[in-house]
Amino acid sequence: MKGTHLGEFEELVILTVAILYDDAYGLAVTDELEKRTGRNVTISSVHKSLVRLEGKGYLKSHMGGATELRGGRKKRLYVLTQAGVKVVNQVKQLRNSMWDAVPKIVWEGGNI
Amino acid sequence: MKDSRPPEWAIRFLTWFCSQGLLDAVLGDLLELHARRREKLGKRRSDWLFVWNVLLFLQPFAWKRNVKNSHKLNSINMLRHNLLLAYRNFRRYKSSFFINLTGLSTGLACAILIFLWVNDELLIDQFHENKNELYQVMENVDQAGGIITRQTTAGPTAAALLDEMPEVVSAVTATTKRITNYTLSVGTNNIKAKGLYADAGYFNLFSYELIEGGKNQVLSDKKAIVISESLASRLFGATNNVVGEVVEWQHDKQYRVSGVFKDIPSYSSVQFDFVLSFEGFRDDNEWVTNWYNTAPQTYLLLKKGTDIDRFNDKVRDLIRTKTDGRAAHRSPFIARYSDTYLYNHYENGIQAGGRIEYVKLFSIIALFILVIACINFMNLSTARASRRTKEVGIKKVMGAQRKALVFQYLGESTFMAFLSLIFALVFVSIILPQFNEITEKQLVLNLNFTVAAFLIGIVLITGGLAGSYPALYLSGFNPNVVLRGKLTGLMGKLWARKGLVVFQFTLSIILILSVWVVYSQIEFVQNKNLGYEKDNILILGKEGLLRETEKLNTFLTEIRNLNGIIGASSIGHDMTGHNGGTYGVGWPGKDPENRTEFENVAVNYAMTEILGIEVMEGRTFSEEFGAETEKIIFNEAAIEFMGLTDPIGKVITLWGEDKEIIGVVKDFHFDSFHEEVKPLFIRFNPYATHFIMAKIEAGKEKEAIDNLQRFYRSYNPGFPFGYRFLDEDYQELYAAEQRVSTLSGYFAALAILISCLGLFGLAAFTAERRTREIGIRKILGSTEFQIVYLLSGDFTKMVLAAIFIALPLSYFITQQWLESFAFHIDLRWWFFAATAILALLIAWITVGMQTVKAAKTNPVKCLKDE
Repeated sequence: MKGTHLGEFEELVILTVAILYDDAYGLAVTDELEKRTGRNVTISSVHKSLVRLEGKGYLKSHMGGATELRGGRKKRLYVLTQAGVKVVNQVKQLRNSMWDAVPKIVWEGGNI
Repeated sequence: MKDSRPPEWAIRFLTWFCSQGLLDAVLGDLLELHARRREKLGKRRSDWLFVWNVLLFLQPFAWKRNVKNSHKLNSINMLRHNLLLAYRNFRRYKSSFFINLTGLSTGLACAILIFLWVNDELLIDQFHENKNELYQVMENVDQAGGIITRQTTAGPTAAALLDEMPEVVSAVTATTKRITNYTLSVGTNNIKAKGLYADAGYFNLFSYELIEGGKNQVLSDKKAIVISESLASRLFGATNNVVGEVVEWQHDKQYRVSGVFKDIPSYSSVQFDFVLSFEGFRDDNEWVTNWYNTAPQTYLLLKKGTDIDRFNDKVRDLIRTKTDGRAAHRSPFIARYSDTYLYNHYENGIQAGGRIEYVKLFSIIALFILVIACINFMNLSTARASRRTKEVGIKKVMGAQRKALVFQYLGESTFMAFLSLIFALVFVSIILPQFNEITEKQLVLNLNFTVAAFLIGIVLITGGLAGSYPALYLSGFNPNVVLRGKLTGLMGKLWARKGLVVFQFTLSIILILSVWVVYSQIEFVQNKNLGYEKDNILILGKEGLLRETEKLNTFLTEIRNLNGIIGASSIGHDMTGHNGGTYGVGWPGKDPENRTEFENVAVNYAMTEILGIEVMEGRTFSEEFGAETEKIIFNEAAIEFMGLTDPIGKVITLWGEDKEIIGVVKDFHFDSFHEEVKPLFIRFNPYATHFIMAKIEAGKEKEAIDNLQRFYRSYNPGFPFGYRFLDEDYQELYAAEQRVSTLSGYFAALAILISCLGLFGLAAFTAERRTREIGIRKILGSTEFQIVYLLSGDFTKMVLAAIFIALPLSYFITQQWLESFAFHIDLRWWFFAATAILALLIAWITVGMQTVKAAKTNPVKCLKDE
């Protein structure tokens, strides 16, 4: 199946969606990402990742409230699906197991 | 509050491309972002950032994917549907389908053939690498009858120009206009081949490809011969390792092969098998080294950017300066060599077209035929489309957009054009060998980029033009009106169709008449009494032993006795064009300023009898009187020109020697019919003759040739027996006209055929539209004849209109063409009357087939319909 793999940016986006929990829409995700990573994040790339992640089945979305500020346009609010939760966990486990496999000496700065 | 919003057009743009599911989320986010930025950055910057952000969304993920997808699916479906409809329509209306197919494919085939021909003509002599700087020296010769332009120049011209003009990079003398058949031999292998003499720089100036030898060296030796690849294999049986081999020329001189060139390509106007050094020729022919005699051609390579007009001003007086004003009548000038093939005709010293006219003529014919075919297609499509108004109505009611209908009709006509193109290509590839035979070319249908682009262009234009009228017109119908069956507008547009038919027929009539006139003129030229008899005269070159006068005379005496041969003699003139003239005739009372060239004909005994030239006064040269070198014969034109009365016995001078006039012959055409008969004298000098002419008994040609060949071989061993017939040579004089008349005959026939197809289709259409009218008329007592008359009336008017436009036009065109002949037929009124009647008859027959059918239909049948 095409694209079950998570890219680095996608991983960040899905985690941000998880952090924001019930208010995860495009702009909020962008803000949060910028705040946490300190990178410049364009809104279009966030939307692109959200669409992709939804396509992969890791996110689902529904239309949320409209505000005056948004010109009366509704938000698309994203939440993690069970598959999403699972894949984030897998990523984490993968990282952990790899961390564990690194010899201690590397961290202690032996003879590098 | 309004101006707090970002630019409206950017929002609209986003709305246009962004998918529905994302639009709200994206636009909302962007607006929110914009509102936030506006406070911090101000309106201008935040607006720009907004636009930038919108542009960033121009990525596939945000596009209206779903809509796009379904659209694609639909258009494929529609395409299939339209193709199916087209196919059903073709099947249902087979006749108009075939008319369209035949008309368009023949039209396209003609256009393709002509395109190939024109393309080939335009490429001739264009392959020389330095064609932009390559020039030929010509001479304008001032004569009593006007200025004549000649390509022959004086031998020293090249050297003098190279010496005196700083613009000249190199200059070459070559005998490219007198390429003759010579006998070459290696051992016992004797071969006739075409050769010319050229200066050392010849292969440097002209880009004939050398396989062996360097282009500057091959002709540097006087004893060098450069041969073509195929001549090498004919002489030596091989093309490599032949350099250094010895070739015998005319069993007289030995030459050493110094180079081999690739066979001359068909797109060169000069065709030859070998080249000898002009230096060597100069050594043997002292006459070519002075300024008074002209024979070879002179070619120049000029510096880039030379001002030709200035250069021409400088060379104009070259001959006068070199001859101290004695040859005052000759003014050299230069013309670009690559132009001399197409622009080869000069009138009174001024460039006046030439072959380019045929190129233009055929391009116009191709255009005419294509236009006629397109008009047909358009007319028939319109006619057929009117049967489909209901289809249009229903489609519109079902929600078809106008765009879709336009697409359908344009697609259908383009499809049809493509189909015709395929047929046309098949047709062209079948007919190409015959076409090549007529045009004497080696054309191939080579689908390279240019040709393919040209063809696709034609198809798109034809399809577009033909489909545009029904596409734009029909699609605009109001479905309401169409479905109720009230079609008022359709007949109203008939004038356009009528106009097109008139135009078509005008072109066809012009073509018919022109072709007829060309045919009659050619016929006239072929059969006119030339003043001599050209039939059954066989020509041999005078070579080998025969160059010795004594041997020649023995040979002539011997062959006169051969079975099948009536007579034989030798002559210095080939009777098909200007061979050589002189100003050296003097007579009492001659104006010293007078510059009239007398054509110079050297003959042996009995030559005038063999040619059947009529003697007006006196006698001709005869053996009874011994050597007659002191005597001379003139033609009437010469006597009249000199103003001599009672000329027999009078003495004139030729090149300073006294000659007694012994005879006057009737004028005969020794030159093309484009020229008037010029003054001519006949002198007795067997040594100066070049050709042996033998009169053969009619019906015994084969026997005579066999006998002659046997005798020739034994008498003149080592020289292959090569002969020509005078009447064939004569016909070659008019090869261009003959070709044009044959080709335009075919094309005219096709044009008429295509026009008739159109008329036929249109008549069918009209008859069908008026079925009910015909039915009612018949019920009310109209006869069949009246119906036919009624239906044909319209077409008759159209053809009459075409006749009135076409006849004066064709009069001017043909008259102008005829005037290029000094002797031509007169245009007679019945040419025009007959053409008009022919056009009318063709139209009536075509229309009649339909109208009679319509008139014969049982009225019950047409009236019960609906």
